[in-house]
Amino acid sequence: MIEILSSAALATVQDLGRTGSLRWGVGTSGAMDNLALAAGNLLLGNELGAAAIEVPVFPFKVRFAEDCAFALTGADCAARLDDQPLLPWWVHQARAGQVLTLGLPRGGAQRGSRAMLCVAGGIDVPEVLGSRSTQLRGAFGGHEGRALRRGDVLRAAGATQPCRTGFGLVPPALALPLQRDGMPAVRVLPAAEYLAFEPESRRAFWSADWKITPQSDRYGYRLEGEALRPIAPMELRSHGIVPGVIQVPHSGQPIVQMRDAQPSGGYPKFGTVIEADMWRLGQAPIGSRVRFIETTWDEALAALDEVRGWLDKVARVVALHRGAPGGLFTRPERTAPKA
Amino acid sequence: MQDTAQRVTQLAAWLATTDIGLLELRTPHGTLRLGRQGDDIVELPTEEEEDETESVNVKASSVGVFLHSHPLATAPLTRIGQRVEAGQVIGLLQIGPLLLPVNAPQAGIVDARHVESGIAVGYGAPLIDLHPL
Repeated sequence: MIEILSSAALATVQDLGRTGSLRWGVGTSGAMDNLALAAGNLLLGNELGAAAIEVPVFPFKVRFAEDCAFALTGADCAARLDDQPLLPWWVHQARAGQVLTLGLPRGGAQRGSRAMLCVAGGIDVPEVLGSRSTQLRGAFGGHEGRALRRGDVLRAAGATQPCRTGFGLVPPALALPLQRDGMPAVRVLPAAEYLAFEPESRRAFWSADWKITPQSDRYGYRLEGEALRPIAPMELRSHGIVPGVIQVPHSGQPIVQMRDAQPSGGYPKFGTVIEADMWRLGQAPIGSRVRFIETTWDEALAALDEVRGWLDKVARVVALHRGAPGGLFTRPERTAPKA
Repeated sequence: MQDTAQRVTQLAAWLATTDIGLLELRTPHGTLRLGRQGDDIVELPTEEEEDETESVNVKASSVGVFLHSHPLATAPLTRIGQRVEAGQVIGLLQIGPLLLPVNAPQAGIVDARHVESGIAVGYGAPLIDLHPL
């Protein structure tokens, strides 16, 4: 059992998302940094999409009521287990009674904004419509369909099983870096109404940087920059949208739909952040700036292959290390020399 | 494994043509250690724990790239002169995407580091000296 000790504003149980439910008007949800979730699960030997706790506000504290292996991925939050500092992107062993504290994300300009706390076997909450993700708008899924509160108790499905701990990964932000002019970047496919914007706006979109405003959350990121102007006013009927779609409301300041986006909208669509880069945007802190890189359908698929390739490589090497007696690359422990 | 003794000559010949410094073969039947002395490959004694020198030599448990600090951090995991506890992570070995810890075998003071950060090391390469407490 894991008890939430902090007021934990906006921490939620998430998996890889409730895909396939948009046709019923049910949004996708799921981890904002799906790569951190998948990698954390691989470190623990979990299924790739096992549920974990996404933490966007710090400090965050939990107490382990029983021994439990856990992995910390996503933002590096100067984590401590009791008083012991913990390495980021690492699988650790908690003993019964120990308290895990996640502090403020660190790393300067490269810092992330969301930590993932993955646990052995995954967070054991009921599956709803094929997913354990919290659907905040519909108030179902996850833990009672809501953000976690102080005093909530969650169960790690594999807490009692032995699990190799004490190793980690080079984070994907370093393994798969993407920047433009020294600034974090994401790739974007032009969308249906792209050509209905003024050529100058279209140029500015790719060449300027965009600030992530405080009005940004799991539903969407409101960006600030030079207003995008349509050639003529557009009125559209509501239509289906997916996470990643960049809408332009009348203000001209774009909104990127994120994991909790509603499944339909009526604003003109300027572009779509490619699926392979959504984890990058999911980690971009409020107040930071991002750049957009124009891409093509083929490049977007290749980018997804690159992400899957990284996960496959991680899965292979972690499975070998977890499976080998004494660890894949390490020889058996020598007995300690006599004092 | 029974015929390993007959194969030592062959193994030594193979080893001589590589830049590997130490071959340690562990099997249920025993351990064979072949090392380089000058241009020669010689069989080394399997027990070396009785070494009564002042410092404890922490060796690479694997082939990998030795890192002084975590890739996300700028500060090293330990500094020369720092006290470390048994089991503490005092360095990292990177193998592709994987990071393995270099743990302090016992409490001590970090005396010396033998390898710069970011350098590929072989199995058994001396990494860090600890002055035991």
